Order: sequence, then structure tokens, then C-alpha cells
Amino acid sequence: MTMQTEPSTVNNGVNVAALLEAREALQATPEAGQFTWRASCAWVDGVHSRSTVEGFFGLGEEQARKAPHIIEADHPEQFAAADMGPTPAEVGLAALASCLTAGVAAVAQNRGIQLKSVKATVEGDMDLAGVLGVDAEVRNGFSAIRVSFAVDADATPEEIAGLVAQSQKRSAMFDMVTNPTNVRVTVA
Amino acid sequence: MNAVTTVIIGAGQAGLAMSRELSHRGVDHLILDRGAVANAWRTERWDSLSLLTPNWANGLPGAPYRGPDPHGYMAVSDLVAQLDAYARRIGAPVQSHTAVLRATRTDAGFRVETNREPIQCTTLVLATGACARPNVPAVSAAVPASVFQTTPSAYRRPDDLPDGGVLVVGASASGVQLAREIHASGRPVTLAVGWHTRLPRTYRGRDVEWWLDAIGALDEQFDAIDDLERARRTPSPQLIGGAEPVDLNALQDLGIEVVGRLSAVRDGQALFSGGLANACASADLKMNRLLDAIDAWVAERGLGDTLPPPDRPAPTRLPDAPSLSRSLSDGGIRSIVWATGYRPDFSWLDMPVFDARGRLRHHGGVVAAPGLYALGLTFLRRRRSHQISGVGADARELAAHLFRRLGTRRAA
Repeated sequence: MTMQTEPSTVNNGVNVAALLEAREALQATPEAGQFTWRASCAWVDGVHSRSTVEGFFGLGEEQARKAPHIIEADHPEQFAAADMGPTPAEVGLAALASCLTAGVAAVAQNRGIQLKSVKATVEGDMDLAGVLGVDAEVRNGFSAIRVSFAVDADATPEEIAGLVAQSQKRSAMFDMVTNPTNVRVTVA
Repeated sequence: MNAVTTVIIGAGQAGLAMSRELSHRGVDHLILDRGAVANAWRTERWDSLSLLTPNWANGLPGAPYRGPDPHGYMAVSDLVAQLDAYARRIGAPVQSHTAVLRATRTDAGFRVETNREPIQCTTLVLATGACARPNVPAVSAAVPASVFQTTPSAYRRPDDLPDGGVLVVGASASGVQLAREIHASGRPVTLAVGWHTRLPRTYRGRDVEWWLDAIGALDEQFDAIDDLERARRTPSPQLIGGAEPVDLNALQDLGIEVVGRLSAVRDGQALFSGGLANACASADLKMNRLLDAIDAWVAERGLGDTLPPPDRPAPTRLPDAPSLSRSLSDGGIRSIVWATGYRPDFSWLDMPVFDARGRLRHHGGVVAAPGLYALGLTFLRRRRSHQISGVGADARELAAHLFRRLGTRRAA
């Protein structure tokens, strides 16, 4: 007896229907789409700090998470620090890579492409003459960032390139890294 | 007050096509235009502009192109002459030099207030087009006063600009064309490139418009595509009415510097997005998907041997590190051309027919107020709606709707 198999359906674990519904709903009530994301950061010791991410505002009200998320940041021993976590700049690179990777999964789901594996490798170049104040001509931040994707999926190379392109087009982190943002820092 | 069954606002190709349809159905009507026939084509286009579509595609309803150069691209002045002749031929009742100041609903239909006598009508057709106003982003307000700013609607020729460097913002049809001619005038051009649509002028020996027509892409219907809003936002293609390539590779070969989307003006500096590579990669991917569809169409029909082989444009080349900023106060950039798109202008339409973002609410040109119609907007009823070749079918379908409505009203 042969087994009756279900027609294969793509499952990348992304609920695209819910995302599309949300997009539809936001067109009717744009104010629900006004979100404010937050993190708080406490100094621990030296250049080691601990950020906590829990609530956010969105869908018209204050939202809670199941539990707070903790992100440690420190500097490596080469900087005479305790290496209790990645540098903040590396957290930023990881944020960019994870934002683009999530985007690849969501776009693949929406386009009916089954992913097998996705790996993003991200590098940022930095001249320390900037942050150390050695050379005023050198910027503090990255002079260039490179992200390289290795994607194994039931798709042509062009379709995979299309996933990666669309994920950049819809990425919050990609936008924040590539475009200026007004930042205001105050003392309470 | 004058009364007429239907008022058409705008005597361009859309208004004239509608006039012809209404005349066929015996609907008495009047076309109002703030200037003369083809006013925007006469007064709001640059000198060198030719249509992006070849002449065979630029016929009007009932008047296909019969000139000597079907594969050429007519200059705007030729289009104006063609529209003038067409208006005479169809006996279009154009009341020129009549600017509409306000249109409101009345019990009997609509009241149209103008710089002359007001007009009462039962049905009203908005045919002022998709390009009534240039879009200028809010960051323009932060540009130093020493920099001359203009738009493709006001620009006529390079010598209207001060000598010196020019920043052209936007790399759709207007932006790439103006970048090219301004650079050729000796003013060094920097082109800020956001999302754009890349198309080759020809592919496998035929004009790309021929292919779009052949594979049916231009006839896709507004109610049969996945994301109409996105389709309506699609930037115009990087084409020129002529053989010269105007893609980013060609412009860079001429010495034009390409930079990312203008994202801010801060402290006298223009800041450009670092996402240029993806904007170009996306456009290349999209172009190649279209060319794949053309190749598939050819293969399905077994026509491969009758045509030249696929001649895909080279991928867009970019510098390793495109500039991220440019001073607007050191004299290097003396003028900015905002080629950042156009939008319709219905500011005089005093009716609750707009969505939260101020866009006209309509279903294929049937506007949310009974008896009110729109024509000539981007992807109004089909992908070709905004082209010269698109107004005929749209006008026919909307005139039929309008005529049924008049019948219903009379019967009631």
C-alpha cells in the first residue's frame, strides 16, 4: 500500500498570513502602526553594560513580553576589558544580520520558497583613529559594512538574490544603518 | 449659470478621448482647460523631451499613427500638433482658458466654479492627469538659499540653470534624461538614485514597448493584479525617446556620478543612503525577470530562430564606495533638479473622495461620488492607462459606465 502524501507546502515558520493581515489592518487604521521600541541599559563595571528589553508601545497601547531579554555588551581583552559580551558595534552588526535574515525568511514564505538553511556573515570595517580621537577626519563608526548570505533553498539563484534584495528593501536595521536618523540624547 | 450633462476637466489626450466617446453616445458635454488643448504638454515639459513610446503606440482612439516614422519617438511639439488636429477632427467642445477653482456636489450633480461663469453638470470627468504637480520632498526646505532649485515641470533647458555642479535627485525617466543633457552642457552632474525601474530600449531587436505590448504586460487589469498600490507606485522606466541608453552604466560612462537616495539635508550637507547597491541590484533583478518572461513568450511560440539572441544589459556597475554626502554650501553644487515624481492635483475638488493620505478614492476610475470619474491616472484600469495608448480603452469603459448612470437617473 502506498501512503497518500499531502501536497508539499512551504513552511519556514513565518506566519505570513498574519503579517499580511496586519498590513491590511494598518491601511484601515494607520495609527495602530505607530510603535515605540525601547531598551534600557545599566552600567555594570568598566565598559561592561547590560541592556534590558521588555515592553514596547504598539497597536495603540502598551505591550508586554513573556519575560525581559538581556543583552550584555563589553569589550575584548585586547581593549583591557573583561570580554563579558560583544562590543556595542558588534551588537549592531548582529542586529543588521538578524534583521536581514528574518526578512529573507518572511519574503521566502510569502513567495512560496522553502528554505533549508540561511547564514549571513557580516563584517564592519573600523579605523580606531576615530573613536580614540586620534584623527578628526576619521569617523567613529564603520567605514563599510559587508553582509554575505549563504542560502540553501528550493529556488533558483535569481530567486534567492530576489529574496535577499527584498529583505534589504523592507529591513528596519538596513534603513537605520544606511540612512541618517535624528538622535537626541538628554539627561534626566 | 450654464448647464451641461457632462463636464470634462482637462483637454489632454484623456479628456479628448472621453469627449469622443461621449459624442458617440450623444451626451452633451464641455471640456474645460485652464489653457488650450494639451496645455501641460505645451507649458510644463522640457524642450528636448520626446515620448518614451514609439510612434506606432501613440495613436489616439479612432486615429492610429499614420506618419512616416512608426518606430521613431515623437517630440512633444509633434504630439501637441497631433492633439490639436484630433480635437478639431472630433469636434471637441473645448472651452479654453477656463481654470476650475472649485467643484462641489449638488442635488442634481456637480457645480463647477471657474474663473468664468459657474457650470452645473450631472456627471463630471477629471482628466487633468497623473503629472499635474511635481513631487518635491520636504528635505528641499533645508537646502541652502544659495542653491537654485527646480523641477522637471519648470525646467526647460540646461542653460536655465546656473553654471556649476548640479544634483539631480531621482533616477526615473525624467531624472536620467535631465542628468544626461545637463551633464552634456558642461555642468557636472551628481545623480541621487533611489528605487528605480531599469529597462533596455530594445531587446532581441525590438523596442521594449513592442515586447510589453506583445506579452500582454500593458493590458494587465487593475482588478486582476496582486498589489495595485505597489503597481501604481512603480517608478517610470529609465528610458528616453531615442536610441541613446540612459541607464546608470551609460550615465556613469559619460562621467555622471551616481550616489544613493537623498535621505536628508543636514548642516548644509546632502546625505545619501548607503543602500544604493541594493536599489540597483533590485532593479537589475526586476528587469531580468521581465526579459525572462519575454524569452519564455518567444520560446513558447517557437520564434527563437527568427529573432536575434537574448542581449541582456550588463549588470549595473557601481563604485566600491559611492559618496555618502555632498556639501551644498561650498559652491560645488549650484542647483538641484527634483526629479522625484509627479502626482495629480485635485486640490479644487471639494468633496469627501480622498483617502487618509490625500489620494483620490476610485475603483478603476469610478470615483467614490456617484457621477464622478477620473481618467489618465497611473494604472487606472490597466498598466497602460497613463500612456497615450491607454486612454482609449479606459475612456470607452468609463463612458459606458457614465452613460448607464445617466440612463438610471433619467429613469428614476
